[in-house]
Amino acid sequence: MVVRLVGAVILLVAEAAQAFTVRDMRAQEVVLAGRPERIVSLVPSVTEDLFAVGGEDRLVGVTDFCDWPPAARDKPRVGGMVGPNLETIVALRPDLVIATDEGNSQSTFDQLARLGVPVYVVRARRLEQAIEVLDRMGELTGRTAAVAPLVERLRARVRRVVEAVRSHGRRRVLYVLWADPIIVPGRDGLVTELVTLAGGISVTAGASGAYPRLGLEAVVALNPDVIVLARHGGDQTPVLRATWERLAALPAIRAGRVHAVDGSILHRYGPRVVDGLEALARIIHPEARF
Amino acid sequence: MSAARLVRVLGVLTAGALAAAAVALFVGSAGLAPGRVVGVLLGQGSDAEALVILGLRLPRIGAALLAGGALAVAGAGFQALTRNPLADPSILGVSGGAALAVVLAQLLGFGSSLVAVLGVATFAFGGALGAALLVYAIAARDGQLPLQTLLLAGVIVGLFFSAAITVVISVVELDRLAGVIHWMLGNLTALSGDALGVFLLLLGAGVWLIVGRARQLNVLALGEEPALQLGVEAERVKRRVFVGASLLTALVVAFAGPIGFVGLIVPHAVRLVLGADNRLLLPASLVAGATFLLVADTIARNIIAPAEMPVGVITAVCGAPFFVYLLRSRA
Repeated sequence: MVVRLVGAVILLVAEAAQAFTVRDMRAQEVVLAGRPERIVSLVPSVTEDLFAVGGEDRLVGVTDFCDWPPAARDKPRVGGMVGPNLETIVALRPDLVIATDEGNSQSTFDQLARLGVPVYVVRARRLEQAIEVLDRMGELTGRTAAVAPLVERLRARVRRVVEAVRSHGRRRVLYVLWADPIIVPGRDGLVTELVTLAGGISVTAGASGAYPRLGLEAVVALNPDVIVLARHGGDQTPVLRATWERLAALPAIRAGRVHAVDGSILHRYGPRVVDGLEALARIIHPEARF
Repeated sequence: MSAARLVRVLGVLTAGALAAAAVALFVGSAGLAPGRVVGVLLGQGSDAEALVILGLRLPRIGAALLAGGALAVAGAGFQALTRNPLADPSILGVSGGAALAVVLAQLLGFGSSLVAVLGVATFAFGGALGAALLVYAIAARDGQLPLQTLLLAGVIVGLFFSAAITVVISVVELDRLAGVIHWMLGNLTALSGDALGVFLLLLGAGVWLIVGRARQLNVLALGEEPALQLGVEAERVKRRVFVGASLLTALVVAFAGPIGFVGLIVPHAVRLVLGADNRLLLPASLVAGATFLLVADTIARNIIAPAEMPVGVITAVCGAPFFVYLLRSRA
């Protein structure tokens, strides 16, 4: 009995003293003194993931754009995604900064490295990778037990949507991420995949890159069946209306098939991305039930 | 200068403008075959084709012509006014003042009605006048406007306004000013019929204010004392042209954004060919400026198709080296 107890203590001590080494999604090794206790998130999706897995106690700093869940707004802010305030970050004494290769800048990573702050970079271009990020956040914060059922529920909801839209014809969808200049999801955009899963074909899927720009004339020439306009935070409808009023002769607009969606559930790859998928499916196939 | 020469010059320039407009109507990222374009013009196109040609290309051609003409006349007006060949609404900081005013007007949320169009234009006019007065006040020495001082004052005032815009963007929630950074590069869009109408009307007023004093501006070029002796009330003429040029600049900023260098390049090119007589220079600049901006915008629409480049980038790429050339050739 005593021997076993001593053995357990030795094991515990050994584990605590052992460096905690993980590989981030760039396949770079991140060496930490132990499991991260003070995390700064430079990515709104990651912030959502950390809350979803129940790891928010370890979250000590977020960006100005981390607005979900509402409790995220109460966390100390470190500035924007590009050029966050390094002084604020360092003052929070983080043992890990989590960032993205799409939206944060390399110069931030370099500066953090010089300051001796480990950076863990996530990368998500596909829905499966979005779920992987969630899974990894669970692992990082030691919430493996909580994250497994969460991931399973999300996968089940995705399957239900895909099943429900399968029997319906594919509709040609124009998704507009940003109105002026017009920015659309291209070949590598997460939204392009979501549109496909929701039973549509993104008319801009052929465009190279993740989020290319498009002229208004090119949009008209694509002649979509459905137009989905992303909203960003504050109410943007007047701006959008002015742009799209002029296109009243487009079949999609004449048929009233112009819809607005909350961009934050479709452009982020947090756990709400499945809400985004469901919202898209309801827009593209209002007749489908899931 | 004979009336016949004026008619001849304007005839040739107008023919050039029409040719440019015809080309612009046929090229675009929608990639419509020429036959389809002709079909639409004959009323036989599909809805989408009609929308591209009549709803997008045609109004945008109109916007380019109006903005280009306005900028060229404003530039020629400022040049005559300051007796400084390097004056231009963007270099003098006047566009910057108008741009700040437009950003503030958008914050107030005018929307997109006709009242809104007028409201934004009014704001822009206020901003342009304010900036021009400020530059004048900084640069004037005993009623004179030394070349270097004027240019520096303009550049400084312009920088100040662009910094002020950055402050506004940083303080305000980004979403409310979504397109501002893009807009700041100078961007033509297909304007609605209402907006084009207002633009045309006010443009007419601005051009009239300047071109109507072409003869007096010629006399003013001799210097203010000789002008006075010849019966030209320099101050009144200058005030009127000043208001006209500010109005034209404000219109372009309100309807298209701060597009630079058109007011510099076009009057110079015209002056090289036709001479400095304002009675010919001003109307010729109007038409040549319209054509120049239309050509620049047609390039902007197609050079990185299916995306579009802001036309202000094209005019700056042409204009900045031109400015350097002018500066060096004067030295």
